[in-house]
Amino acid sequence: MSAPVSAGAVWRRVLPVWLGLMALLALSCAAAYAPLGPWNVAVSFGIAATQALLVALLFMRLDSASALIRLTAACGLFWSAILFSLSLADVLSRLTRT
Amino acid sequence: MSDPAIATEALLREPWDGLKLPEEQALSYQRTGATFGIWIFIASEVLFFGALFLFYTAVRAEHAEAFAAAARETNIVYGTVNTALLLTSGLTAAAASRASEHAALIRLTRWCLVATALLGLAFLVVKGLEYREDIAEHLVPGPGFKLPEASAQLFFGFYWLSTAIHGIHLMIGIGLVARLIVIGWRHPERIPGNPQVEVTLLYWGFVDMVWLFLYPALYLAGRSG
Repeated sequence: MSAPVSAGAVWRRVLPVWLGLMALLALSCAAAYAPLGPWNVAVSFGIAATQALLVALLFMRLDSASALIRLTAACGLFWSAILFSLSLADVLSRLTRT
Repeated sequence: MSDPAIATEALLREPWDGLKLPEEQALSYQRTGATFGIWIFIASEVLFFGALFLFYTAVRAEHAEAFAAAARETNIVYGTVNTALLLTSGLTAAAASRASEHAALIRLTRWCLVATALLGLAFLVVKGLEYREDIAEHLVPGPGFKLPEASAQLFFGFYWLSTAIHGIHLMIGIGLVARLIVIGWRHPERIPGNPQVEVTLLYWGFVDMVWLFLYPALYLAGRSG
């Protein structure tokens, strides 16, 4: 861990990420008012997922984390995916029948 | 962690004598353990909030119209300001975490910790103002609810539950950051290289991420209709 030693070096690493996150926030707020039909949901949650990915990789530093840490973080998503797909398989199949 | 100015012996937590490791290596093991531990906690929290969002997804799929009508009742100004506040606190948290690796950057670390806690408090103040407005507008599920559709109350059930749980998480985060500020004020040598700084700010980052998904779920739905 030799890279940033001056305050400027720390800010140069994190400020561009913050600017990107704020730009995405503005984009997501504006896109919510655009008449995109069913795409509104996809766009707003897609932007949220992009922001969360930026926070996880660059603020919480998964980009430079060890394989064990990355695997642990991925576990949360993996089990959530199972939770969502199995539960929604039931809920959505009932919806299409009625 | 190669910064020689870091006070390794002040940061080591007992008991480590049994392993007969050099102090530097023992601290590096503790750091790995602490980071691994908080990520296990975060992964389990992802499932906890995942269940809440699953409820939201299932009910929204069934009552799309009522959810859109209910979501239009939330105040997008408060919601957007709060998202910006939390993203900025994420910036100061990330800066504090990086700065804490270097003893020379102790002042930056301290100020970033203070800014993180203050931005968290500002979020709670805005949330409080929003809650007051919501209560005045009869947006609490139950008798006298503002909207006629019964399923609009499900949306506001989710709104109150999820924002309250997120608020409690944030209060815990503010408490943990305040604890680091006190440690840094009383024993400045205990902050640089301390694994507790990284662990606390990883938790902060997670609370940030939860809000990033609550924002489109609560404030952006139904705006274009």
